Amino acid sequence: MTTETRRTGLAYGTLGVAVLGVTWEAVGRTEVLGSTFPPASDVIAYLVDPAYRSLFGRAVAATFWSAGRGFVAGSLVAMFLAALAALLPVLKDGMDRFVASIHAVPLIALGPLFIVLMSRSGTPTAIAALAAFFPVYVATAAGFDDTTASHRDMFAVMGSGRWVRLRHLQLPAALPAFADGLRLAAPASVLGAILGEWFGAPRGIGILIVSSMQNFQIDQLWASAMLAALISLFAFAVFGAFERLVVARTR
Amino acid sequence: MTNHLLDEQRQHTSTSADLRLEQVVKDFRLRRGESVRALDSVDLEIGKGEFVALLGPSGCGKSTILRLAAGLEQPTSGTVSVAGAPPGEMARRHGLGVAFQDHALLPWATVESNVAIPFKVARRPVDTERVADLLELVGLTEFAKARPRQLSGGMRQRASIARALVLEPKMLLLDEPFGALDAVTRRKLNIELQSIWARDHVSTLLVTHAVEEAVFLADRVVVMSARPGRIETVRTIDFERPRRPELLRSPEFHAIVDELTASLDLHDADADARSEGSS
Repeated sequence: MTTETRRTGLAYGTLGVAVLGVTWEAVGRTEVLGSTFPPASDVIAYLVDPAYRSLFGRAVAATFWSAGRGFVAGSLVAMFLAALAALLPVLKDGMDRFVASIHAVPLIALGPLFIVLMSRSGTPTAIAALAAFFPVYVATAAGFDDTTASHRDMFAVMGSGRWVRLRHLQLPAALPAFADGLRLAAPASVLGAILGEWFGAPRGIGILIVSSMQNFQIDQLWASAMLAALISLFAFAVFGAFERLVVARTR
Repeated sequence: MTNHLLDEQRQHTSTSADLRLEQVVKDFRLRRGESVRALDSVDLEIGKGEFVALLGPSGCGKSTILRLAAGLEQPTSGTVSVAGAPPGEMARRHGLGVAFQDHALLPWATVESNVAIPFKVARRPVDTERVADLLELVGLTEFAKARPRQLSGGMRQRASIARALVLEPKMLLLDEPFGALDAVTRRKLNIELQSIWARDHVSTLLVTHAVEEAVFLADRVVVMSARPGRIETVRTIDFERPRRPELLRSPEFHAIVDELTASLDLHDADADARSEGSS
């Protein structure tokens, strides 16, 4: 990406956020969508109110911790299985189908199951791991296949074994795709953690959302939702930057 | 013609042949049932320390011969061996060096690490002196830390040849290594390759469609014709080694180039007639 296109992108992004913010504010002030749609300024005021700082702080820390652990665990398992499929081509088709069928099960249906199978506090991590697993597996597996015919021929003529080829050709070739998978997995694991918290984790943004909904705390509900969105965007941005770094280093 | 060809072959038949193709046929399967014959009863031997160039029009199967020698393809019938072993076996013993028209350097690695890659593939400790020596030989010492994309096309091919030579292969396989380069760079690299080769005399198979390149570098030039690929003429080139750039301007050199060009055109016309007759 050139500096100019990035600058244009930034300008459009800022414009989009501004339009969204102004519309939100207007809708909230005029109450055209009812009193349960507060203006943006109220939500932001609630979010930065020192009185609620420790409440939000604890929730964010809990969700971040669950999402982070799930993200790391899901990505590691995905990488391991993708590497295994690359080393043993016999496993490749079966593995792809296995991963696709896991992905086909709605995460929300697995929540109660995890609650039964494991602890309440472990559920957000487990669902975050599952949410991160799929994009990382798909991207990494595709990355391992993304080598040129002449590179594969070269390694074959040099007498390379599968492991050496994985280590010195497929792994470096897959890094940009892997980073792309992480970029998609980061917000997915935040979403997964929040989803897991709904089913009764001790704390976290998911719990905050459920309890504000049940107690009709509209501003708190919106603030929690906004916080969740901000965390996802932050994770996406961090790994987006990481991906650009990796791509610049490998090409 | 056939007798002459057999004589040429016999002359070079020795116990120490580093590459031997016997009655090799290669068919490529197309769709169901259909197949195309890429090579038809090919006999070829390369003696120890000999440089042989395969010359022919595109589609004559010369690259297929190289791929058979590299163990990347299997013959439909006939046998291929490198220093007495099947090519795949020789590849596993890390006894083959190869350079393609596409340099196939790893884009994320420096020139130095690219040249060192065969050591890693062979699970041997990297001999940094050997790597430095080869970089010096191909004139890339200053570019050791550069990435392939920072190099010119000619430099990339030099790095690719250094990589092919780093493990002192039994057999060097060059598939149009300078095919994508401009004429000036190509001539320069031919002169360099000739002096590099004069140092170790590693047994070499060069696939090319450039007549001058073949005549300048090779001990023998094998002319092929297409559809199906077969060997038509074998021409011994006995210019003294090391060969100097002046040779490229000598009348003797041009006489041989003209002779081989004529035979190339003749067989190409034959092949066209054959394929038209059969269709």
